[in-house]
Amino acid sequence: MKKYWKFIATITIIVLSIGTFYVSSTMSAESHPEFVIKTISGNAEEIKPLVLEGSYTSSMSYVGTNLKVTSDGSTYDSRSFLDKLIGQPPTVIKDFQEKYRTFMRGKDPLVNYFFENEEFLAYATVDYRLDSLRSRDFKFHISVLNKKDGSIDSFTEEVPDSGELEYISVDDVQKVEGELYLITRNMTRNNDNFSEEAHIYTINIANQKISDHEAIVDTTNGQSDTRINVRLVETTPTEANNHLIIVKTELKVIEDMESIREEFINQEIISYNLVTKEKETIDVPELRLDENQLSFFDGSLIYFTRLDGQELVVTPYSIVDNHAGKAYSIKLSGENGHVDGQLTTIKDGKLYIASSQLNADVVVADADKGEILFRGQVTLEDSSKETRQFELYLHEIYVK
Amino acid sequence: MRNYLKLVNFEFNRVAKLFAVLLSFTFIVQVIGVIVQSKSYLNMADKKIYEEFMPKAQFLESFGHMSFFQIIRSVWFLGPIAICIAGVGFYIFLIWYRDWLGKNTFIYRLLMLPTTRLNIFYAKITTILIMTFGLVAFQLILLPVEILFMKTMVPEEFRSDMGVGELLTNMPELSIIIPGSFVELILYYGTGLLVVSVIFTAILMERSFRWKGIFAGLVYIAIASVIFILPLLLQEFVLNGYFYPVELLVLEIITGLIILAASIWMSRFLLTKKITV
Repeated sequence: MKKYWKFIATITIIVLSIGTFYVSSTMSAESHPEFVIKTISGNAEEIKPLVLEGSYTSSMSYVGTNLKVTSDGSTYDSRSFLDKLIGQPPTVIKDFQEKYRTFMRGKDPLVNYFFENEEFLAYATVDYRLDSLRSRDFKFHISVLNKKDGSIDSFTEEVPDSGELEYISVDDVQKVEGELYLITRNMTRNNDNFSEEAHIYTINIANQKISDHEAIVDTTNGQSDTRINVRLVETTPTEANNHLIIVKTELKVIEDMESIREEFINQEIISYNLVTKEKETIDVPELRLDENQLSFFDGSLIYFTRLDGQELVVTPYSIVDNHAGKAYSIKLSGENGHVDGQLTTIKDGKLYIASSQLNADVVVADADKGEILFRGQVTLEDSSKETRQFELYLHEIYVK
Repeated sequence: MRNYLKLVNFEFNRVAKLFAVLLSFTFIVQVIGVIVQSKSYLNMADKKIYEEFMPKAQFLESFGHMSFFQIIRSVWFLGPIAICIAGVGFYIFLIWYRDWLGKNTFIYRLLMLPTTRLNIFYAKITTILIMTFGLVAFQLILLPVEILFMKTMVPEEFRSDMGVGELLTNMPELSIIIPGSFVELILYYGTGLLVVSVIFTAILMERSFRWKGIFAGLVYIAIASVIFILPLLLQEFVLNGYFYPVELLVLEIITGLIILAASIWMSRFLLTKKITV
């Protein structure tokens, strides 16, 4: 036995040291502060479905930890090995992966690429080859899952008229009857002139062909000192929409000695009906579009919001009868009376407002009339316990 | 089994001196590092507060608290770790070549032992593994001791304390050596073991066929590397992300085990049939 003492001692130390380290590290998970949504007034039931996502960074560390704040308090993402490996796809994608494991193989985890209704789950993406001179070989990859019989229809189709295309991205996928609509943003290059347009490709699923395609919003501009931005207003990805809402912003590019600035010229809101292919410009004369931000679209109503001092002014606008509803304002408060970084969403006729900063208001209101149903604040559960410096930044709001 | 353990013990005793040197080097340099870093922070604080009459609060605001993080990121701390890694890497080769290059060719006696020759292979790879884990374990013991050292030197109001776990999560470089979870530890060091077994096989090829063996060894290493990353390459370029990450992990583990088995089988063949003294 004496011969073996060094060996046995080393093994013992290894087992004890590494064992203790891993046992104690699983026992005492990192202690993060607990954040809660404190009720100030109203019914706390209203925030039950509300989830605020953000990241927490302590002053001591460089790495932030993602967390979710709900009415039950805060939960931090575990940074276990398996979680890191799987990554954190959006909740919608995670659901798809669990339900349709085979179909979801090899699909990019981007919500924009998916469409879902009761019968179908569709996916479309585009790929192309980058060359030193220009991009080429633009191809759509399309998959449609029939939920009833589980059959998967996958095909690849070349993007038509892609000669001048520089870049293309799929912004939304919609399906009406037997047609699949891909709403894309296309960047074309003509010599040195780049222009961007919202484009729609209609694909017949039965014969797997692109039956039609057209530019919804054309941005050919005469002057070289203006720039046009096109943005598709996002809606809930899992709901079918016959209307698309597109915001077109015209900007004047001003080149100074030191910098390049952009000045707002004009903004247009365009509604496009997928079925009738009708295009309509939404004109709301009483709303100054450079001040009002188009915040949300729920299928029939567009909500414009504008921050006026400490108040958020909300104007609902119905695209069915082209009529702006009565504007209302909601008083908000933030750190040092400073209100910014608003996160808003609307679900089932309720407007949810939160802020990216700590100690700012969380408000739930009736989306039509602005009647406040709940008012609260994101705060530390026990601020006396927390002496460390930290930063909390919330960046996403969603309602379950 | 008995023979294997005897051989491991024997091999371990042969490396014990080098091992002890690495351990004491790490200990001495890291502790000096703690002292030097703490002292330099304190000297700076002294200078600012007592000579330049800077208020303590302002000093803390502009220079920050002293934390063990500053020590961990210094050469004093990382240098010894690098030396230890280099030491182990060097010994992977030396563990075989010292048997041939010594005054009397020791390998002759080893090969004559009344046990399967593969036990020599197992014993040597175990020794490398024990050495590596020994260094990791020592570092884990050393960390709290060093933190204690810093605590005795720097007064509390200038200090912000962190636990060992917190230090490691904020130091990605270190979490390769000491991963955050036990599963990762197994995976990382399992991969290490695989690499060592492939290198051992290449060394045995060289010992069997000399010059031609060097070539064969390099080819073997290349083939093993390609096979090991083959699932990843297929996933990326042929299958367009067909597998989910977890499935890919399982595939990688299986591929690793196959390469390990191939290395052991090849080494057994070389040790019993081809090795030259």
